[in-house]
Amino acid sequence: MLASSEATMTLPDGVALHARPAALFVRTAMRFRSKIVVAANGREADAKSILSVLGLGATAGTTLVVRADGEDAAAALDALAETLAGVVE
Amino acid sequence: MSFWTDDVTARDVVAVGIVLVSHSPQLAAGLTLLAGQMAGPDVHIEPAGGDQDGGLGTSDELVRAAIARADQGDGVLLLCDLGSAILTVREVLDGNGNGHIRLVDAPFVEGAVAAAVIASSGAPLDEVAQAAEDARDARKL
Repeated sequence: MLASSEATMTLPDGVALHARPAALFVRTAMRFRSKIVVAANGREADAKSILSVLGLGATAGTTLVVRADGEDAAAALDALAETLAGVVE
Repeated sequence: MSFWTDDVTARDVVAVGIVLVSHSPQLAAGLTLLAGQMAGPDVHIEPAGGDQDGGLGTSDELVRAAIARADQGDGVLLLCDLGSAILTVREVLDGNGNGHIRLVDAPFVEGAVAAAVIASSGAPLDEVAQAAEDARDARKL
């Protein structure tokens, strides 16, 4: 069954999607089969592509809209939110 | 069942290795650190920078040794900083063209980062190579 889920996630204080946090986000996304798109600042990125996510230029406090399509969509969004919450810069 | 589950877990830590060939030892070492931090501990990224005396240049022996260190059994992807390093790598790969060790035409920094992060997921060599090549089209602005 193809499920689609969407969630907004706000980058915590002091956490921008720079190299290491962006990589943690992408590595989490890659664990899931769903197609995952992350939007911020009017741009969209493939959540499984590090260069794409880095190109968002998302700084601390930015609200990300994350959309997942696939059977594990809900689990993917939970994991991504957890990853962002756990990032310490 | 648990046997197979364990097997899959064990496979997860096997990743395509990456060799970064640069004319500068510092450039290769710095990019190894950056890509390594982003990919995590499961990806073997090895620098082959400079000539054998630590000066600017490339060394077939350093490239050979880096390939050996990077190879964990799932293949090795090589990236070069500038075209002339390609000659050194081609010399090393001569007679070793079985596809297990692969040279890719990609931007050095972006290609290395993209390849390293994808490799950390356990992706096969074809996919890791494709990610490095696709880095050419990634825009920074």
